[in-house]
Amino acid sequence: MTDQELYAAISPMAEQVLQIERFDNTVTMMSTPSWDSLTHIQLLCGVERQFGIEIDGDDAFRLTSAEKLVKYLQSKINQ
Amino acid sequence: MNSLSLLPHQQSERPLDLPYRTFLDLLRAKAELAPARDFLIFPESGRTYTYEAFHALAVATADWLNAHIVPGGTISILFRNAPEFLAIFFGAVSHGLTVVPINPDLAAPEIRFIVENSNSTAVFYDPDLSAKLKTLETEMIPGVIFIPVSDVDDLPKVDVKAVEARLPRVDPTMPASIIYTSGTTGFPKGVVLSHMNFLVDGKGMADWFQFTPETRSLCILPLFHNNGLVVSLTTTLSAGGSVVMVDPKASLRSFWTLVERYHATFTSVMPSILAAILAFGFEGKPGYLKGIICGGQLLPLSLAEKFEARFGVPIFEGFGSTEATSYSSFNPVQVNKRKLGSVGLVMPISDMKVVDDQDVEVPDGVEGELCIRGGNVAIGYHNLPGLQALRFRGGWYHSGDFGLRDKDGFYYFRGRKDDLIVKGGEKIYPAEIENVLSQHPNISESAAIGVDDPILGQEICAFVNLKDNGASSEAQLLSYCGKSLARFKQPKRIVIINRLDDMPELPKGPTKKILHRELRDYYERRLANSEDPEGLKWVLGSQGAG
Repeated sequence: MTDQELYAAISPMAEQVLQIERFDNTVTMMSTPSWDSLTHIQLLCGVERQFGIEIDGDDAFRLTSAEKLVKYLQSKINQ
Repeated sequence: MNSLSLLPHQQSERPLDLPYRTFLDLLRAKAELAPARDFLIFPESGRTYTYEAFHALAVATADWLNAHIVPGGTISILFRNAPEFLAIFFGAVSHGLTVVPINPDLAAPEIRFIVENSNSTAVFYDPDLSAKLKTLETEMIPGVIFIPVSDVDDLPKVDVKAVEARLPRVDPTMPASIIYTSGTTGFPKGVVLSHMNFLVDGKGMADWFQFTPETRSLCILPLFHNNGLVVSLTTTLSAGGSVVMVDPKASLRSFWTLVERYHATFTSVMPSILAAILAFGFEGKPGYLKGIICGGQLLPLSLAEKFEARFGVPIFEGFGSTEATSYSSFNPVQVNKRKLGSVGLVMPISDMKVVDDQDVEVPDGVEGELCIRGGNVAIGYHNLPGLQALRFRGGWYHSGDFGLRDKDGFYYFRGRKDDLIVKGGEKIYPAEIENVLSQHPNISESAAIGVDDPILGQEICAFVNLKDNGASSEAQLLSYCGKSLARFKQPKRIVIINRLDDMPELPKGPTKKILHRELRDYYERRLANSEDPEGLKWVLGSQGAG
């Protein structure tokens, strides 16, 4: 999948969880007040379900932006 | 240090233990003692600073600030738990500046209030916040400059000794920071803390918990709050240990991984974090973790017992407030001497007492207001002389927290005298929410209360009376709040009382003051069980509830 395809796949769930209008490569945890500790868990759970992967604790705390999340997904999918 | 000019509420019966005068003195001493020892570890970015490296960075930052800001002024900073926060904080206080850390999640009007109220002349911020701060930058009062800082490692290297020789002399009783906390009027109040406050409290806790250079603290609370800045950072610095810094918003799910991977020996949390770890069923091994420091909101005894039984890590509950820098009392570090449910014994840095309405100390076992004095007690409030006189009177800081002391000297926290809401450790006065709601054109009056929440301790429910019953929905009102209030202050639920059968108007006392307690009773009786915590269920569906 390309980055664009990944954004398209994640966006509906991410926008619902974070209650934002658009989940794109400009979205970061820092710039999005609704991306808090609980919605971070929701977001990662949603991604795990959607892609059938498991995000371990070593990675979960590093996924602090949309860009990092998509990059991470690329690496998991291409493994 | 006995020559220090202490305020009446900073004078304790116990001797002041202040081996270093300022943050920079403390940092320099530790850097000289163990230059190659790791001080700050940032797992997300992979950056690690030894004591020597961070000392050099702090001095280089002080030198850089010298080009922008005149010593003696105040600056605001908006960063997450990143090297930029700490470099600018240490650089600024070494340069004789007062630093105002601001929660980056605050709404733009809230940030503006703090910047203006603190008389900040500059705002240093994470570039990720540019969009939010852009409007402030153009509207802000003249004279305030906004400076984005993306990487302090890019600062030019300096001759540390030469720069230090040029830095202004900083007195330990000078303000180092103004920390803003919620205020009863709805506007945040600035608590002014000196270098002495931070260093006394930090050393007091380091001694209490027997921290050593081998101590490794895991900091998962934000540095813009004193719990992160003092309990995790200053305390560990006092002992010459190391601190693992993680973004608080991203750390919860990785809690046990971080504990294990970085060999954390201590961490500091809010009770809501313990509740979340249990509720989400996050499993892990404590590894080297000797204890968890916990406070900031009421810790339910059942939660503490359940957490300890499940993970085998002792929880050390304490009592404190921003006005006392952070903690003043703790349970003993000897696990079997703790009293679960108590906030412990007063630390040797302070005196504590319990008083009645006439400020007379009450006997052990009798409930009253908890008062503190000592070297960790703040200078006072920023530009609030009335409140200063009220809360710092008779040589004691009157906390507004109620509790008692038992015959063994252990203190117990029972609750607040006022209607303060504590949500996930964040303190929010109802007036902050009510002030925003009252500006809505269709709301005639409103009241906000704290209601029980299984994870956060409390959530916010607002009751509103509409001028035109049909003209506004709950969703519209919630959306309206989102424009002016930080997310953590936004009500989870808004109840339109025009649509209630059994409460035609907000309950009021003889002076027409709204009775928040009656609203809380009403909520418990009629509305609590009708709430559906969808967000939590959504997560628990895949994680399994503990």
